[in-house]
Amino acid sequence: MRYSHTRARGWFAVASVAALTATFAIAQRSNASDHQDTPEVELSPRMDVNDVYAFPGSSADRIALVLTTSSPITPAQSSAAAFDPNLLYQLKVDNTGDGVEDKVFQITFSGSGANQQVAVRGPVAPAQTGAMTTLVSSGPVVTGTTNTNLGSATGIQAFAGIRDDPFFLDLEQFFRIVPDRKPVSGPLSQLPDQPSASAFRPASQAVDYLRGINTLAIVIELPSAMLTDGGSRKIGVWGTISR
Amino acid sequence: MQIQRRMLAALGALALVASVAACSDDDNDITGISTDRVFVQVERLGNPLVSEVFLAKRNHGFHNAGRPSTDVANHTTELKAFVTTVAGRDPSVANTLASVLLPDMLIVQTDKAANTAGWLSWALANGYGGRKLTDDVVDAGLAALFGSLLSPNNVSPGLATDNVNQNDKPFLATFPYLAAAN
Repeated sequence: MRYSHTRARGWFAVASVAALTATFAIAQRSNASDHQDTPEVELSPRMDVNDVYAFPGSSADRIALVLTTSSPITPAQSSAAAFDPNLLYQLKVDNTGDGVEDKVFQITFSGSGANQQVAVRGPVAPAQTGAMTTLVSSGPVVTGTTNTNLGSATGIQAFAGIRDDPFFLDLEQFFRIVPDRKPVSGPLSQLPDQPSASAFRPASQAVDYLRGINTLAIVIELPSAMLTDGGSRKIGVWGTISR
Repeated sequence: MQIQRRMLAALGALALVASVAACSDDDNDITGISTDRVFVQVERLGNPLVSEVFLAKRNHGFHNAGRPSTDVANHTTELKAFVTTVAGRDPSVANTLASVLLPDMLIVQTDKAANTAGWLSWALANGYGGRKLTDDVVDAGLAALFGSLLSPNNVSPGLATDNVNQNDKPFLATFPYLAAAN
């Protein structure tokens, strides 16, 4: 992961700060608990799930699911930003409480640039559960151009494209507290090498490091009954990326 | 880990057999991609923070390739150890966090009122749960891990909030909800 694509990572970073500032002994331990992702994912931002969200949709019986990836994308980089056509993006839903996916959305892309096309399959029972997956051969599908609202506002609605990164945190102050975590290049690398703070900044001075930063987002909204499938109304949601 | 590797190997072998068997059909899905192609999971995320906060980097690949159904067995010990040892909190805090974060899924009670939605509200208040765009999950996590949310003992007040409480741009009231790109 990149230091700043730090949604959940930022959180970790923050946690580490606290640990590091507690005692030196603890700092050692925290260093052993690195917040970065696997090297492959670090080097391939498009393989990284930044955040997953699930919240009520446009009416009480509808639910919206969001998966973000590839942040941080600066405004200058945004016109060229696109999903990876070689990856499979999925949102998975467990509706039986066993931690195994019962319904999935399988999202793929073709082409690039302004004409990139998206296909959102699902919700549908997966052909296989777990880490190895093939595409489903039937079930609902919404297709169309990225950066466009697709589908039906009363059925399955889908969007895939570039948006403002919804995550927020004071990452800069974090690196003042724990400078050994700062990146080797870019503006944050210019912060002092030695700790120059031991707490977060007051609200009047705190800064959202992801202000003005974009992300690639997949947003799906549909009747929640299509996920609960007549069973329990309690579901579990997670996102994956496969290649 | 060992079991996981064996399972993956077995799945791989099965998938290979399946794809060879299906080659003559050359089935494509609706968008023209072969349904024979086997995709391998390289990244997974449910709750914000679980992998990044509690799990050592060496275990991120293990978590990324895993599934929620084995999260409790695979990650509970490490998660609790982070809370008690690194953060220095009471075991009760570790137990609470483990119980709400594992299996690593965003839990949603779809029959609860929309105005009760919010990260972990399913556990804290029998609410809708999920995760809203406006949820300050960094502060929620900090308050639990370093603040007095779950225990009054051993708190670190200066680390209990980052004082960034909302996004820089307002979210939309309608689909697709996220603000337009900058």
